[in-house]
Amino acid sequence: MRTRFRAAALTASAAALFPAAWAVIAAMPPFGEHVSPYGAAVNAVVPAARHVSNMVAAVNFDLRGLDTLGEESMLLCAVTGTVVLLRGARGEGTSGSAVRLPGRAVAQRSDATILVCRFAATLLFFFGVYVALHGLVTPGGGFQGGVIIASGLLLLYLGEGYAHWRSIVRGRILSFLEGAGALLFVLVGAIPLALGKAAFRNILPLGTFRDLYAGGTMVVVNAAVACAVAGGFTLILLEFMEETRAPETEREPGEGG
Amino acid sequence: MMIWLTGIMLVIAAAAGLLVVLSRDPKRQIFALCANGLVLSLLFFALQAPDVALSEIVVGAVVVPLLFLVALAAVAVARVRE
Amino acid sequence: MSVLPWCVAAWLFAVGIYGIATSRHYVHLVGCLSVCQSATYVLLLAVGFHWHAGPPIFYDHPPGTPAVDPVVQALVLTDIVIGATVTALLLAIVVQAHKLSGSVDPQRLRPLRPNA
Repeated sequence: MRTRFRAAALTASAAALFPAAWAVIAAMPPFGEHVSPYGAAVNAVVPAARHVSNMVAAVNFDLRGLDTLGEESMLLCAVTGTVVLLRGARGEGTSGSAVRLPGRAVAQRSDATILVCRFAATLLFFFGVYVALHGLVTPGGGFQGGVIIASGLLLLYLGEGYAHWRSIVRGRILSFLEGAGALLFVLVGAIPLALGKAAFRNILPLGTFRDLYAGGTMVVVNAAVACAVAGGFTLILLEFMEETRAPETEREPGEGG
Repeated sequence: MMIWLTGIMLVIAAAAGLLVVLSRDPKRQIFALCANGLVLSLLFFALQAPDVALSEIVVGAVVVPLLFLVALAAVAVARVRE
Repeated sequence: MSVLPWCVAAWLFAVGIYGIATSRHYVHLVGCLSVCQSATYVLLLAVGFHWHAGPPIFYDHPPGTPAVDPVVQALVLTDIVIGATVTALLLAIVVQAHKLSGSVDPQRLRPLRPNA
């Protein structure tokens, strides 16, 4: 009965909102005909004013750096919440072996998998660093590069198995990386304040146009965001993986290591 | 030409979203999420947004399905343990 | 064609809300929430789009070539990455709810009551 009531409420609200939605859609400007003045101003002014060629990265890290700081703290809060929820309920004592589900065969990792994963993880790691480094001249940046690095580190788990993977990828290094990235971002905003200028003011030398290290404080913020995102995402995935591990005190009869 | 490309990508994105919702089994929904991420990133390319498309490929087709897979594994493990 | 992106965004949002309301598994519900999020991405990027304009990257083209709006692209970019993190938090809550109550069915879990 509850599902029927819910479906009835859904259709009633959809019927009530449909004319309003249609009125809004009819009032929107035609697709592709509208030029937003702020965007046009950014495209016209920023290459000469900041010496970078990626306008999106300039808006993210310099013009609207305060908004990106808010997003960064959202990332930090979400990662902290996930870790506290999962680790708090589970405790710290887990072994390196997985819980064996009944009726599920345990497949051996083939040598081809291990080899391909080693190559691919290394390639992905360097590709992520490349995308993050070139964020201010070509499409890319700290956010994309950080997530690529995190997925490269995850590919290592597929090839190495859990125990080896945990010895390579340590939780403490990841939390340090994440916190250091966020702290660096806050410092880039706070140091100009201490020097008597506006917050997030670009105080470093700007460099030449289309150079890799042009942009002043944007380079620092880019690197900080890459570290923080890489550390945060790998930490989240690590905590979820720990959920599937058997606790240390349990020993099944006939269970290996 | 660009008009047709953008229009077709928009329609395919709408269909991919519908597919994600209509896959009720979470294990099947993971594949639908991968397809949704890929289609959305192609749409963002057509809308002249390469940064956003890069972001959507990595997040929508790699990280989010992986998160779902590991969450389902954690739920299955908790079901075994109790 | 001039109203197609707005209709697609409204359609994706409506489909996502329908999926959330009629879901029988919490993990499926979180997937439908990501469909709602993608509706906002499509809307924002379509607002910034302009015909015969290129991406706002001036590495190969000189500054001054017509380009689409970079501000909405910056919004969507950070939104995608942070949205994935919030999805992770929601999935952690799902795992915890399953541990505490034994079910992942939204229609079986009732709100907490005192002395329940």
